[in-house]
Amino acid sequence: MDREKKLREKARELLESKEVDLVIGYGWTRYGKRVAPVFITRPEDVDRLIWNPMCVNNLTLYITRKYPDVKAMGRPAVVVKGCDAKTVNVLIQEGQLKREDVVLLGIPCEGVVYRQELYDGEVTKENVSPKCVVCDVKNPPLYDHLIGEKVEEGSGFEGARNIYQEIEELDKKPEGERWAFWMEHFERCIRCYACRQICPLCYCERCIAEKNMPQWIDTSAHGRGNVAWNLKRAMDLAGRCVFCGECERACPVNIPLNLINQKLSMVVEESFNHRPGYESEGHPPLIVYSLEDREDFIR
Amino acid sequence: MIIKRNDLKRLVEDLIGQGKRVIAPIMRMGLVEYGEIGSFDDITWDYINPRNSFKEFLFPQTEAIARYRIGKKDVELEGVIPELRETIVLGSRPCDAASTASLRSVFTWGAEEDPSRFRDDFYLMREGVTTVMTIACLKGDEDCFCTTVGLTPESPEGSDILLKETVRGNFAVTPVTERGKAFVEEWRDYITDEREDLKEIEYPEVLEGIDTGKIGARLSDVDVFDDPVWQEVARKCIGCGACTFSCPTCHCFDIVDEATGYEGERRKNWDACQFEYFTLHASGHNPRDTQFKRWRNRFLCKFHIYPTKFTSTGCVGCGRCIRVCPVALDIREVMEWLSR
Repeated sequence: MDREKKLREKARELLESKEVDLVIGYGWTRYGKRVAPVFITRPEDVDRLIWNPMCVNNLTLYITRKYPDVKAMGRPAVVVKGCDAKTVNVLIQEGQLKREDVVLLGIPCEGVVYRQELYDGEVTKENVSPKCVVCDVKNPPLYDHLIGEKVEEGSGFEGARNIYQEIEELDKKPEGERWAFWMEHFERCIRCYACRQICPLCYCERCIAEKNMPQWIDTSAHGRGNVAWNLKRAMDLAGRCVFCGECERACPVNIPLNLINQKLSMVVEESFNHRPGYESEGHPPLIVYSLEDREDFIR
Repeated sequence: MIIKRNDLKRLVEDLIGQGKRVIAPIMRMGLVEYGEIGSFDDITWDYINPRNSFKEFLFPQTEAIARYRIGKKDVELEGVIPELRETIVLGSRPCDAASTASLRSVFTWGAEEDPSRFRDDFYLMREGVTTVMTIACLKGDEDCFCTTVGLTPESPEGSDILLKETVRGNFAVTPVTERGKAFVEEWRDYITDEREDLKEIEYPEVLEGIDTGKIGARLSDVDVFDDPVWQEVARKCIGCGACTFSCPTCHCFDIVDEATGYEGERRKNWDACQFEYFTLHASGHNPRDTQFKRWRNRFLCKFHIYPTKFTSTGCVGCGRCIRVCPVALDIREVMEWLSR
């Protein structure tokens, strides 16, 4: 594939010129047909880099402070889709990253699959990731090197499930039904914290789930503990989540986390006219106080 | 011996009618899971291996082990005896059935030779009321590797009864344990002495280049422990508990007190060696301070600690850790490296 070739060329150039010490990209695993994050440090290994619709992971995860081992490897270049590049903007806004600390290899993307095992050679309205159905960043909003030509914006997955419609439909239900809907999902949570661990914006040095003096959130996987955990994480992401969809993809029990995170995004957009990830200036609205903030919720 | 599908249905409905807990593969939220069924028709037959193992029915993810009430002068303590219901796991896979021995090894560690050693009664009581009726797999998926770790799609280890599907869609019945024999005896009316041809069982390929004996030997070598390759193989690991919580042999737990006001419960919860705080000492020191050390520990547990300390196996090749990993960390790749 053309883009793949260009990606390898650029990676080789960056590594040979020592502009970066490391390229974080996608590569095949040894067994099966899976794509995984790979860390390339030598120019002769760049052919391991690949690009296809199974490249779902948001690799900016590895340039957060959660990965001191990766940081120790030196200056990184990271392969980013549009949605992943939005994460970088938020990380910069939140002081987690300086723009010059990372080289972004932006890849114009025409959609990835929801989960790798669903892929059968083509991205369809059945297997497409829900974020791609409403995508407006097929071309990354932020990059140092664009890999290949830009593509036309717009979704093209007509008939695929639309997250905003699903939220609207859920919102129409009476409170009791909505509660039952979420309880049914949260009760199945196994507290593996894959949602938190895969999220590049969940970078707290010590998560509240691990604070036990006092124990704010029950660690037990029972209804009370699970609701507390899932709602806490959703609230922390409000106004910051860029809808990379990684938490829902990583969830081993299929909790529809996109629904709750995007619902909160809608609320933040409505209240503060803010959509996270489109710029690196300013701050997410919920971490700053502004005199212009709405006060009509105080009654 | 053969049990016809219709008779299996009658058997299951009778068991449910008697108030027994029947665990079988069911479809929930687009996933096949082991879960309690309300009727035979709830069972999903089209599955390779459920997303969870059935360990949660022997060793629940969370359970109360004591209750307390803090008074003005003293603390009242009360032990908890688990509510036991006779349980039948129908449609277990041979890999999962084999893993019960692995759980038992830990929960009765050394107690057979030395009765003063601790035995986890919570586990043992549950295991004591559970009958495992395994259905041999007809085939695996690309992540199944039981044959590489010494099991097969029709291994009887850990099953009380092994069922194999016949070409007519019925099941050949083989009782394996005393419990299984007694169960078959009890339900003899539903089982015939006919013979039927069995459906062909397709074995997952034995992965060339993987040798568990060699892996165990190499892991005894301190130089291997310190090999920088560990850092490479586990660099992408995100440190979640998806692999350990899906694993049928992972058994680690944490004890927490959960209170509302002056009353509370002491609970035993699954824990995962992949979590950053798993080995954090009260002093602040963490012997496994980076992720690759935690991942290495999990691998060592399966392929070195288990074979050294127990006769049971640490990895049954069910492939769940591979299927659920959000970053496609494939344990087989590391097994291959260490077989060289």
